[in-house]
Amino acid sequence: MVGLSVGEKHFIQGGIAQDLRSDGRKRLTYRPIYVETGVIPQAHGSARIRLGATDVIASVKAELGKPSALQPDKGKIAIYVDCSPTAAPMFEGRGGEELSTELSVALQRCLLGGKSGSAGSGIDPSSLVIVEGKVCWDLYIDGLVISSDGNLLDALGAAIKAALSNTGIPKVNVASETSGDEQPEVNISDEEFLQFDTSGIPVIVTLTKVGRHYIVDATSEEESQISSAISISINRKGHICGLTKRGGAGLDPSIILDMISVAKHVSEQLINKLDSEIAAAEANEEES
Amino acid sequence: MAAKPGSAPTTYSPSLTQKTRPPIFKGNDLDWVRPDGRGFHQCRPAFFRTGAVNSASGSAYAEFGNTKVIVSVFGPRESKKAMMYSDIGRLNCNVSYTTFATPVRGQGSDHKEFSSMLHKALEGAIMLETFPKTTVDVFALVLESGGSDLPVVISCASLALADAGIMMYDLVAAVSVSCLGKNLVIDPILEEESYQDGSLMLTCMPSRYEVTQLIFTGEWSTPDINEAMQLCLDACGKLGKVMRSCLKEATSASQE
Amino acid sequence: MGLPNASGDLSTEVEVDAFRRLFPLRFYEKHLSESIRPDARPLGRARDTTIALGAVASANGSALAKIGSTTMLAAIKMEVMTPSTETPDEGCVAIDFHMPPICSPIVRPGRPAEAAPVVSKQLSDTILSSGMISLKELCLVSGKAAWMAYLDIYCLDADGALFDTALLSAVAAFSHLEIPVVSLNDDGKIVLLSEEQEGMSEREPVNKEKRKLTLCSIPFSLTCILHKNYILADPTAEEESIMETLVTIVLDSSSQLVSLYKPGGPVLAYTSAIQDCIAITRQRVKELQKILEEAISVMEVD
Repeated sequence: MVGLSVGEKHFIQGGIAQDLRSDGRKRLTYRPIYVETGVIPQAHGSARIRLGATDVIASVKAELGKPSALQPDKGKIAIYVDCSPTAAPMFEGRGGEELSTELSVALQRCLLGGKSGSAGSGIDPSSLVIVEGKVCWDLYIDGLVISSDGNLLDALGAAIKAALSNTGIPKVNVASETSGDEQPEVNISDEEFLQFDTSGIPVIVTLTKVGRHYIVDATSEEESQISSAISISINRKGHICGLTKRGGAGLDPSIILDMISVAKHVSEQLINKLDSEIAAAEANEEES
Repeated sequence: MAAKPGSAPTTYSPSLTQKTRPPIFKGNDLDWVRPDGRGFHQCRPAFFRTGAVNSASGSAYAEFGNTKVIVSVFGPRESKKAMMYSDIGRLNCNVSYTTFATPVRGQGSDHKEFSSMLHKALEGAIMLETFPKTTVDVFALVLESGGSDLPVVISCASLALADAGIMMYDLVAAVSVSCLGKNLVIDPILEEESYQDGSLMLTCMPSRYEVTQLIFTGEWSTPDINEAMQLCLDACGKLGKVMRSCLKEATSASQE
Repeated sequence: MGLPNASGDLSTEVEVDAFRRLFPLRFYEKHLSESIRPDARPLGRARDTTIALGAVASANGSALAKIGSTTMLAAIKMEVMTPSTETPDEGCVAIDFHMPPICSPIVRPGRPAEAAPVVSKQLSDTILSSGMISLKELCLVSGKAAWMAYLDIYCLDADGALFDTALLSAVAAFSHLEIPVVSLNDDGKIVLLSEEQEGMSEREPVNKEKRKLTLCSIPFSLTCILHKNYILADPTAEEESIMETLVTIVLDSSSQLVSLYKPGGPVLAYTSAIQDCIAITRQRVKELQKILEEAISVMEVD
């Protein structure tokens, strides 16, 4: 938590009311986004996103596993977030655990969709199956918060999107037909890689309500002022894929609906901005 | 804690012979019947009782069909020594499951996030400034899980808080809606939850008409959101009345 | 003595309450000299006891037992295991006692109560040594499959006499237990038979008759406090915290002694005191037996 004096609080709130925030942005403007891909060579895909002073890394690792008995035609995807003690002193020891769990759950909800896994999921889990009921890819998506200056969820969501478009999964050849309960033999190719279709992956937009106005991409100073915040994940089609209200005071239902429509508007710009940044980063990586 | 020391045999619970049960509805079917025969927009009958645990400052028991939960509230009591000074009170929530709550033993442990979700749903309704420097503990135990566990826990917890005399702006009522095929079903049971394409949970303070927590999973279009939210708000209003009458009964019984 | 009634004198009421908090032992001793306890019980009387069977639908057997405000919920889940080679035709019973944070202000999440493992061990010792359950009855297919009965007891409200209530709920859960009908499939796995399949199935159920366990010599218990020359039956949490010498006696339905615990304490008991405790327990066992039988007959009527 940021300790602010009454004067500073008024300054922030007043700025928001006049649509000129303390760092010169408007209410619905994001800070500049810097995307860097392929930052971790051991992972199958990785990306680093910087949003002002907020700095996060996401990595994707794929391992061969067995589908669960309940959903034999789907691979498994797990998302975990870790908050590095370098980001803030309060993350030391077990201090970051609560925030880590909260972010992990929110990301799972926003990116992986419902329990059945078919609708609202950015990644199609059935594309991860190699042999139904026997072999599938398990995706481990790890997020790491290196530096925190507010709006971690949006940054992590964007980093995961970038990391997934950077991910190449080795092509797998099933060696021979096997019968019964035996595990089939598989060959992992070193040369051929499959790319994910990341166009369906939603972006996360967190709207923070300060006074009577909403702002996007709040810094931690601004986050300390929130009366309430809503994180909404929206895909390119404009459909909501997940929504979490993040604590704070109650909201009138009509305000929530209004926030959803504002978030939709913001998300269009964010998706385009992010896509071009990711493409640029990919091109940059290939050059170097 | 097996009876024979040294041996921890692996066990399994016997399953039904038919491997896959027919799904409760088919893809585009609009006209199916819910497993318990309810209408799509009909909630299970709700039962609440306060004062379930005598050693707690306040407590409540809730039963919705097969979903049974107990919530105890302790405090306001001294915060842990390590906590910093705070001029508003703290709320500490914990949700746990019994080992026999779920159909297969010991599967109820993967609900770590429920504790923080309970916290978020309640904090907007409690007047934290009325108990500075102290902590109120809200502990929930799901005795039996029959679907819509978290909404039941949240409603029950707000009743337990009221029973403990913690100052609140209003009771908090919670309802969830599942999206199954093209239908929206309110207050889903466990079986329906396992087939759902998306879900929405809304907790609100009915008298103030304010939403304290809202969670969507799955893909939703705007008209669906409007419909689902309205469904939940109406149901929360009704649930709030049931909760209120439970509190009134409890006080009038104690006065006699 | 005791709390002032409707006399309405507020000052004495406050004084009694303050006295109770400041000098708990003297407060109790004043009562004991008059042969009464602050909750108006005579020294040797236990609190009101109720049993409700079948409280948990997702378990094979369950019971809710209440002594005073101490409440325990016990549930049994039956799972299948492969018996060990030494005892190919015996099943297994695993007993676990939990004190979740809801039950008492002293239990916090992540920090389990000190009493829980102690009661847990006492319970499994008592139940397994009493001979109430014959493990042979839990056998399904000799050497291949046997039942593992997981008995989990949750304390919902802790107000003294935890072991007594836990044992009562455990015994009641066992008498409510109904073993599902199962059969052996081709892979050597045990599968459930649903009701409509039961008659027409080509596979014979392996346990057609053994749907209920025969419970011989059911154990019941009573905890007493020894303080000076007084014996207080069925203590509340407050009494347990003030007077620390406890004796727990477990007798079976034919009044044979199953076990006796006296875990230390400042009072060193004469054998005569122990015999007095046993005499009170004998009376209590008869009461408990009646309560359990009533609960079973109520359930059968339903």
